[in-house]
Amino acid sequence: MSSTTPNQIATNALRRSQLYRRHMAMSAAFEALTDSTVVSCYGTGEGELKQAQHLGLADLSTLPRAGFKGLGTPDWAAGQGLQLPVQPNRANLQDDGTLVARLSQTELLLASNLDGLSESIANISLGSQLPERVYSLPRSDSHSWLVLCGSQAAATLSKVCGVDLRPHKFANGEVAQTSIAKINGVLVRNDLGETLSYSIFSDSSSIEFLWDSLLDAMAEFEGTAVGIQALRDC
Amino acid sequence: MKLLTCPLNGPRNISEFTYGGEYHPMPDHQQVAAREWAEHVFFHDNAAGVVIEWWCHSASSYWFLAERNTISDQILRTFPADEIFTQRIDFEPAPEPTINATPTAGESQ
Repeated sequence: MSSTTPNQIATNALRRSQLYRRHMAMSAAFEALTDSTVVSCYGTGEGELKQAQHLGLADLSTLPRAGFKGLGTPDWAAGQGLQLPVQPNRANLQDDGTLVARLSQTELLLASNLDGLSESIANISLGSQLPERVYSLPRSDSHSWLVLCGSQAAATLSKVCGVDLRPHKFANGEVAQTSIAKINGVLVRNDLGETLSYSIFSDSSSIEFLWDSLLDAMAEFEGTAVGIQALRDC
Repeated sequence: MKLLTCPLNGPRNISEFTYGGEYHPMPDHQQVAAREWAEHVFFHDNAAGVVIEWWCHSASSYWFLAERNTISDQILRTFPADEIFTQRIDFEPAPEPTINATPTAGESQ
């Protein structure tokens, strides 16, 4: 009986991150999530929880996301059972852990929970017929998703972003659509329990540059990449 | 650092924005002469003084309008486009010209 090695899990998956080669070079251990893979941990994973609480960067690009835009979007999404933030540039968590960010009065971004099994996204994406003035945005394909977490995350971001993202100025659930290391992106503060955490959604074509830039900025504060398991444990 | 205030995202570095040209009220595209339509689409007044301009916040792809003094390069105010565009604009096609099918004298059937 042949066993599947972590590398085979990564190469055989239907969907893999654009950072896949970076992860392989860092001795990542992958885990399968439906039709995709995500980095579970790097090396043996020892001490990754502490690292995530101090300063860690995780790649969640293969987890499900969805986006909708148009004048009819808020009423339709509320009718689908989503609890929407009232103001633009705010985000909240649904009961199933799905992150819903309101990017303008008429635009939403949905990101899965850390198990990659978001009922909200599955239900809303299955409804094939969108009503008039609701348009689907392919956020899973167009955007990558990084999570920068830990007590030093705000200090790291201050090196690469002009918006004041310190915890006492930028509350949990706030959204900034801005330039991060010269890459346009949507940044959502979405704390993991007590751990400060920022989700960054940016153009997938430049993700290798952003990944390298953030790791470079993190080095000053002894930050490094962490797997999804450390985020779940936070 | 020069700042511009986006009506959706607040004050941001000017490098996050893209200039989108002068704002002009759109003439009725079905009534207007080709020359006037071309002027609306392609030509700028390039006025010295206070003008209204389109700007886009690139990180959020949000288009809005700004009043700017082109002499002092001062931004006087920025505001969402729905202050001016209060309803959806549909471009109904012009009615097809009717073709007279009756042959004129001397024309073969």
